[in-house]
Amino acid sequence: MYPQVLFKNRKPDRIASMEEYRENGGYEAMANVLKNFSYKDVRKLMLDANLLGRGGAAFPAGRKVMTVADDAPFPRYLVCNADEMEPGTFKDRVLIHADPHMLIEGMIIEGYSARAEKGIIFIRPEYESAARILDREIEIAKAAGYLGKNILDSGYDFDIVVHRSGGRYICGEVTAQLKALEGKRPNPKQPPPYATEKGLWGQPTVIQNVETLVCIPHIIRNGAEWFRNLALTETGAGTKIFCVSGKVNRPGCYELPMGIRLSDIIETHAGGMREGAQFKACLPGGASTAFLTPEFYDIEMDFETLKKAGHRLGTGAIMVFDHKTCLVAATLNLTEFFARESCGWCTPCREGFPYLRDLLWRIESGQGQEEYVSTIKQMCHHLWNAYCAFAPGGIAPIESLLAYFKDEVEAHIREKRCPFK
Amino acid sequence: MLPEALNASLQEKISSAEHPRELVVDVMLDLQDHYGYLSDEALEAAASLLDLTPLEVEELATFYTFIYREPVGKYVIHVCDSVVCWMDGYESVQDHLCAKLGIKMGETTADGLFTLLPVCCIGYCDRSPAILINRNVYGPMTPEKLDDILEKLRTEAG
Amino acid sequence: MPNLIIDEQEIEVPEGTKVIEAAERLGIVIPRFCYHPALGSVGACRVCAVKFLQGPFKGVQMSCMIDAQDGMVVSTTDEQAVDFRRYVIEWLMLNHPHDCPVCDEGGHCLLQDLTVSGGHGIRRFQGEKRTYRDQYLGPLIQHEMNRCIQCYRCSRFYQEFAGYRDLGVMQIGSRVYFGRQKEGSLQSPFAGNLTDICPTGVYTDKPSRFSGRRWDYERSPSVCINCSLGCRTVVSARYRQIVRQEARLNEAVNGYFICDRGRYGFYYAGQDDRPRQPLIHGKEASWETSLKAVCDELARISDTFGPKAVACSVAARSSLETLTAVKRLCRTMRWQDPAYGMDANIHVKVKNAAAAIDSDLAVSLGELENADYILALGADPVNEAPMLAMAMRQARRKGAKVVLVDPRPVDLPFDFVHFPMAPGAMGHWLAYLLKTLSGPDTPDMPGAATPEHSKGAAPENLHDLWHTDQSAALTKDLFQSSRPIIVCGTDIVTNAVPSLASDLARRLRSMKKTAGLFYLFPGANTFGAAMLSDSDTVFEKILTQIETYEIRALVLVEFDPFFSFPDRIRLEAALQGLDMLVVLDYLDSRSAKTADVFLPTETLYEAGGFFINQEGRAQKVPVAFQGGRPIIQTGAGSHPPRTFSKDIPGHDAKPAWRVLTELERGASGSLDKEIRFELMQWLVDAHSMFSGLLSKGPFPDAGIRIDAGQGAGARVEQDQSDASHPGVESDDDLELITVDWTFGTEELSVRSPFLGQVEKAPCLFLSEKDAARLGFSHGDRVALRSDEGTIEVKLSPAGNMARGTLVLPRHHRLDWQHMKALKIELNKNQILKPHGNA
Ligand SMILES: Cc1cc2nc3c(=O)[nH]c(=O)nc-3n(C[C@H](O)[C@H](O)[C@H](O)COP(=O)(O)O)c2cc1C
Ligand code: SF4
Ligand code: FES
Repeated sequence: MYPQVLFKNRKPDRIASMEEYRENGGYEAMANVLKNFSYKDVRKLMLDANLLGRGGAAFPAGRKVMTVADDAPFPRYLVCNADEMEPGTFKDRVLIHADPHMLIEGMIIEGYSARAEKGIIFIRPEYESAARILDREIEIAKAAGYLGKNILDSGYDFDIVVHRSGGRYICGEVTAQLKALEGKRPNPKQPPPYATEKGLWGQPTVIQNVETLVCIPHIIRNGAEWFRNLALTETGAGTKIFCVSGKVNRPGCYELPMGIRLSDIIETHAGGMREGAQFKACLPGGASTAFLTPEFYDIEMDFETLKKAGHRLGTGAIMVFDHKTCLVAATLNLTEFFARESCGWCTPCREGFPYLRDLLWRIESGQGQEEYVSTIKQMCHHLWNAYCAFAPGGIAPIESLLAYFKDEVEAHIREKRCPFK
Repeated sequence: MLPEALNASLQEKISSAEHPRELVVDVMLDLQDHYGYLSDEALEAAASLLDLTPLEVEELATFYTFIYREPVGKYVIHVCDSVVCWMDGYESVQDHLCAKLGIKMGETTADGLFTLLPVCCIGYCDRSPAILINRNVYGPMTPEKLDDILEKLRTEAG
Repeated sequence: MPNLIIDEQEIEVPEGTKVIEAAERLGIVIPRFCYHPALGSVGACRVCAVKFLQGPFKGVQMSCMIDAQDGMVVSTTDEQAVDFRRYVIEWLMLNHPHDCPVCDEGGHCLLQDLTVSGGHGIRRFQGEKRTYRDQYLGPLIQHEMNRCIQCYRCSRFYQEFAGYRDLGVMQIGSRVYFGRQKEGSLQSPFAGNLTDICPTGVYTDKPSRFSGRRWDYERSPSVCINCSLGCRTVVSARYRQIVRQEARLNEAVNGYFICDRGRYGFYYAGQDDRPRQPLIHGKEASWETSLKAVCDELARISDTFGPKAVACSVAARSSLETLTAVKRLCRTMRWQDPAYGMDANIHVKVKNAAAAIDSDLAVSLGELENADYILALGADPVNEAPMLAMAMRQARRKGAKVVLVDPRPVDLPFDFVHFPMAPGAMGHWLAYLLKTLSGPDTPDMPGAATPEHSKGAAPENLHDLWHTDQSAALTKDLFQSSRPIIVCGTDIVTNAVPSLASDLARRLRSMKKTAGLFYLFPGANTFGAAMLSDSDTVFEKILTQIETYEIRALVLVEFDPFFSFPDRIRLEAALQGLDMLVVLDYLDSRSAKTADVFLPTETLYEAGGFFINQEGRAQKVPVAFQGGRPIIQTGAGSHPPRTFSKDIPGHDAKPAWRVLTELERGASGSLDKEIRFELMQWLVDAHSMFSGLLSKGPFPDAGIRIDAGQGAGARVEQDQSDASHPGVESDDDLELITVDWTFGTEELSVRSPFLGQVEKAPCLFLSEKDAARLGFSHGDRVALRSDEGTIEVKLSPAGNMARGTLVLPRHHRLDWQHMKALKIELNKNQILKPHGNA
């Protein structure tokens, strides 16, 4: 059993109350920061801890908050990204349901380091139960004096509100999310200016994922080195919530050290492959990552290692496919997702995904032609030139299908049918 | 007509907001809860509450998955059809629901009780195949469980 | 200044220039759909991709999104970029109908051009095409969503650039839909620009549907004469009529756009009942007979009663050539000095304004966009000169503050501060402002007349008005501004205001600010008319002289007092007392019908000519087509031709200046261009400020500024009859002012059957408080009774207008000419509920 940091208070059937959170040291970090830390101290600690963003892009959290200039104008905002619409990902939901005050404390500290006065939790509509929990627990924290004006007599003011989304994948993307928060159409907006310079309502804004934020109180309490040492690899830091789904016996969220081997996650923690199922591939970090083949079965799951192998850890949402699952059909399903969720702003993404879906559907349904393969490849290549990171994410499974499972694709075309049916 | 209480509560919310426009999704959801869907009347109410034009509200209303611009049943069943639920057979869940309710995806039962809609991954892949009914999650689904749920909802609706 | 290399050519461009613009300077036009110079870059369509070989960016990138920087080496022909662009075209064509041959945009479609030039011919995609339902968007614009390539230009123009909120983008992903929430007429008076900026055929010009294709048209640059701004346009003619008008770029004036009054305001030229034949007492006659009849009778009158018994009046819709010809004719024949068709007060205001705008102070509409503070006095931009509102909005978008002082319920497509002030108060208010601005250390303003208003004690209510927080904020902002521009109307303001406005601008200049001055005039060529009129002859004075039998004959040149003169009864009586009324015009005006002799003239599309806008910018309009009766009329539903002759059917009209010259010298065989040259020479000899118009070589497309300078003479003394008072003193009296509207009041555009469908019904505005006081509510009909009659109109109480003022549009569906003057005072007893309206 590995140390449970983020899941320490997790109960099988209910959320941890503020009392329970406090009993285990909750809000101590916040009190300490407000009393003894300058905002710069917090920033430095986060940087030293090598806390990488858990929302998918793995950007160093310390570096991000440091781009809020000392003389940047007020008010400043902190946005907690709880949109979590990346298929396969459900860790933020589990974290909120397990221990909502950890997120509240994390936000207060992060807010302090950015000298923000307002925190906003942007949450997807499917998580209405989580939103209600947050609404309620925020009030409780307020009553305890952890939120509001002059928190614990420190002179620091901070409030949190919950913003419910109307539901769209693109709202998870930073710039689109800011527009959604402003009540505008959530099309992304290419920087500059960056959000930390001119974000929400034109004011400096820091956006972090739920899982990133909940790490912060622990880093404050135990130090940067402790956090780095939680990882099994040199390059990793902290623990990671892996959400495992698909053909395993125990799908769910597991808090494990960064750098743990994929095989270990699947076999030891997720209960192994289901009866009669053999591991064929997995998507290691949501729908916008590439298929990992059995060749990578033992890979150490941290951002750096996967990157070196030409892959991405993304959100750490591991979706496991077995030998009886047709990966052309799976990719078709994923492409359908991206075609449906494209925001419609730029041509490659808006038109390219429906085109790719059509070609994949033809292959899957036995109408494939050989030249489709090169068309798909070339089109994927061009989708890198879309406006935002949505499209490059969406083609990751397609490109890896052609790279690693070309035989399977060709079999469809040759046999004019899906070999798995 | 918007009931007085709802109108007052929305107006209060809006007047206390620094940027009223940021509440547009909240307002739409509240009105939708009242009307069952975001009717033209609701759309216009949202616009006038927020000092927007109906077009400006429509631009947002039609962007989002959970704003319904057409009438829906009392229970909106969203069937997740993304990759994990697909792997675990959402298609049979969907087929079962369609057969049981006698409607196709996107349709509403004649008694106005149920609407069936597809939805992208809802973040409950650990409970696949999963569905949402009025934004409450159910899963993993089997035909028997579906029958029970439908039965329960029917009784609940009287 | 960054220096970069594009396709092996070096170029230096100003900081902030996008690579796509830098390339264009080299003559390399990189494909684009979403990019538009006026709308800026948004990077949506992705068709402007080029390859960056060296410098801070690498690889395939969008040239519209990246600023040119030192050391960049860019290739537009790189195989990777070309292949990507080819894909973009293919993507855009997946759902596009393959029906260029029958599409209304065919032949001038950016998508068609890029598809053909990009070599995309065969559709590989085998999926179904998505289809949409189109919307009815009103009588001006045809919607065809299936052709949409989602460049977002329309919603960006409509909402961001123009500031209107009823057209936009709905839905998501590959279903995005551009249109309105519900079917219905577009509310923006700038909506017609959608047809120009849409790079394909989603928004096309509805009135010109089925009239022809771009290559069928005779296209010619032109100028809009529906207000005094002089926006640049392109007209298209086919089958002997103008069928369409589009915006043409003039950076100094309208930029890329025009308003709908201008775009659809040309139909008078091809109207069915446009008179095209000389008429003597309503009967068709030859030119020879008619000219002779006129010359003989005028000679007789001149001989009998003296030459001063003959008078001419001309309107501001005539070309400079015609204005000149009128003047030369009057001079040569020693008739009365011509009257330049204006109201006496407007004449004074315009003269003073024109004299004030030397090139130092005057700003162009284009320059107005760079103001950081705009103070508009007595101006209602959307209604009087719509494109002014667009320019002000662009300034506002860049951060300018806009303050408007006007009694009307002014609506602008941006936020601004409005002081709804009675016309009479404005002069006092301005005098106050001037005083406030002249602190002890302000240098004295040479030439700035101390307005007589500041001498007397200001009335109480003005005092209150001035001492508001808003006024304090206004002066503070004005002090802090560095590029303030004073915009001043000349229609509803009192006579002192235009001069005070120029004093104010000069004072701001003396405070080391780059201050500017921008006037609005009534009528297209009013500046020209003001320069040429060197006496106080106004039409009203001619009427008086007719009434006293001093004047026996009147020649109306493209001027219809029945449309614009505010005292109809007097007008009718006077004209009846004439020995002879001669009318030269291209409109089927009431004057034309009343004339003893009518002589048909050509419109600017047939005759061309110079027009000088309110800034003093002269623009040259070439001849767009040969004229004649449109084939649709001569054919009468059958197949033309029915008559066989060398002449153009129905082409009897002549340029007004030619007719005037023939009245002077008799008909001659001189070519039009000879007469024109001779006239211009005469003009320059008489007024040297116009010498630029004669310069050799092609006339600059952007026009040239005419500097009235000091030469324009001193101010016209204030007419005491208009000695203004700050609003109406008694609560029982209200001041009625008549005003211009975007649609429905301007003489030429009211003849457009299409604008007729979008114009609002006439109504009378008054402040909500006055309405309550008088016991009226919204939608009531009221009868306004003056000495001359009664007019009935619907009431429209407004919150944002001056108290004590009634605002009545000079609507063509209203006999407002029974009000006797452009401005009158009414007692509350004269505002009644009409009979039968319980
Ligand atoms: C299309 C798209 C969708 C995204 N969705 C999410 C999301 O749902 N939740 C999230 O935290 N980050 C999401 N991201 C990543 C965010 O843009 C951003 O990197 C992240 O929220 C920053 O927080 P972090 O640094 O703490 O990870 C998405 C990115 C893209 C391009
Ligand atoms: S890549 Fe897709 S999601 Fe991103 S801007 Fe383009 S259309 Fe929108
Ligand atoms: S013109 Fe550059 S992306 Fe459209």
